[in-house]
Amino acid sequence: MTEYQERALLPPGMNDVLPPDAAYETSTLNSLLECFAGHGYQQVNPPLVEFEESLLAGAGASMTSATFRLMDPVSQRMMGVRADMTLQIARIATTRLKDAPRPLRLCYAGQVLRMEGTQLRPERQFGQAGVELIGARESAADAEIVLLAVESLAAIGVRDLSVDLNLPPLVPALTSALSLGDEAAAVARAALDRKDAAGVAALGGQAAEILGALLAIAGPASRALAALEALDLPPSVAGECTRLGEVVAEIGRAAPDLALTIDPAENRGFEYHTGVGFVLFALGVRGELGRGGRYLAGQGEGEPATGVTLFMDSVLRAVPGPDAPKRLFVPVGVPAQVRAKLRQEGWQTVAALADAGDVPAEARRLECSHVYDAGKVNPLN
Amino acid sequence: MALPRGRILEEFRPLLTRMGIEPEAALDDPGARQLKFSTSDSALDIICVRSFDVATIVAFGGAELGVAGNDVLMEFDYSEIYAPVDLGIGRCRMVVAEPAEMVAGDNPSRWSHVRVATKYPEITRRHFARRGVQAECLKLSGAMELAPGLGLCRRIVDLVSTGATLKANGLVEVEHIADVTSRLVVNRAALKTRPEFVGAWVERFAQAARETGDETAEGAGDGA
Repeated sequence: MTEYQERALLPPGMNDVLPPDAAYETSTLNSLLECFAGHGYQQVNPPLVEFEESLLAGAGASMTSATFRLMDPVSQRMMGVRADMTLQIARIATTRLKDAPRPLRLCYAGQVLRMEGTQLRPERQFGQAGVELIGARESAADAEIVLLAVESLAAIGVRDLSVDLNLPPLVPALTSALSLGDEAAAVARAALDRKDAAGVAALGGQAAEILGALLAIAGPASRALAALEALDLPPSVAGECTRLGEVVAEIGRAAPDLALTIDPAENRGFEYHTGVGFVLFALGVRGELGRGGRYLAGQGEGEPATGVTLFMDSVLRAVPGPDAPKRLFVPVGVPAQVRAKLRQEGWQTVAALADAGDVPAEARRLECSHVYDAGKVNPLN
Repeated sequence: MALPRGRILEEFRPLLTRMGIEPEAALDDPGARQLKFSTSDSALDIICVRSFDVATIVAFGGAELGVAGNDVLMEFDYSEIYAPVDLGIGRCRMVVAEPAEMVAGDNPSRWSHVRVATKYPEITRRHFARRGVQAECLKLSGAMELAPGLGLCRRIVDLVSTGATLKANGLVEVEHIADVTSRLVVNRAALKTRPEFVGAWVERFAQAARETGDETAEGAGDGA
């Protein structure tokens, strides 16, 4: 027996999702997709596995170390299991849907697999849901994505959301403007990522001064934006900084009560992003609920695009949890038509297969909330 | 707020006093079994844990603030921790040491494989890997200085403040890995979701650390 029970052991980071969580996850996911669809985003479903060459090309290179590989015996080429879906959507948009009218609005939901969990996210397989807006350069597009992410999370019951806006190209632009070498730039980025004020100060000279000022800027949007505009920024990122200001203004008009912060030094997790990025947090919830931002879709020049990915494992920690199910125990002898009518009224009918004797006891044993008795629905307690 | 027991707590206490925060008396009693302490500020509770656990607890959001040495931060490298303030306490350095009699015949630049006893296997591996040296780490929780004498390994990586412990055990510092001080650490999500509140605490600690640092500098100047 023990030996058989041991076979239930799963590889690290893999989970069976049981009732009622599995159904809840599905309904949560459906609510998100419904919200995306309501804003004109059409769903696409890319495959789980693709050829490594396309999955990890260009911007996908950042996922190389997270991607499981397998050999395809048919084509004898290496395949990768997706570790992220954004780049699959970008591939679809710039190949199969290259002639579709722009801006192109796509949404998706699916499972991803990663080689390693992190200490904060031990799950190696988890769900993602998101939207991508391809072929739009306007700051209105960035604002639309942030607002849609916020609206969809609010719709599934996430409270006290907070959006942290970032400017991923800023730090690399600053380090090259300061003509720091590769090694010094890496040290500077590591210190900035950890908000290690002592590490930044240790860089010395102009770098310590400018990057130190950058660290101090992080905070509520209105104050941070004013401080950022007062900085002397390299011309290559001045455009994105202006965009950030426009995005903040647009979000402020549409959702004046949304908690909005700006952190221009944040750089981690934005490996392929080229412009305004953002991370979603909820008060008291561990880790990020989702992240998104501006990137270039496709190869070569690329097409301007922006989008957001929600991480379902964190999102499910931030929602209130399933309502008590409406499971109705129906004793033997109740006609099928009556049961069908009960289902139309919203009940999940659990039909007895044989006469169980004590009906309420049997209903309780099968985890029902109500019992059907002589034409009436009675609650169990 | 999560604090490590021992020397760092002792050095940290004056900062709290300077900020006008009085913890309950049990915090200063080394024999107390209590782990959680209230303070005169109702917004601040203190928990006392082992130094390595401060980083873990803050990373997982169990405490919003904490005090941890950058040795611990480097070892774990949690993405969910920020270290915005150098408190200037718990000053020491992390070094590679080996028995004094070995030093004469040893050229560190020729090492290709070393066995090292340490509390910090990640930092040790990373440090040696950067130099192209394969490091086999023997994880110990304390008294690393004994390891070479017992024949477990020939080198150790450990924290050194005065060097007295190394000397007493016949060891000599051969390489410097990093300077260590204690940092104020902050949970990332807490700083993002409550920027005003958490930011104000960070600023208060930074202020207190600056004032202490200024006074120490003046004191040193007077002595000279």
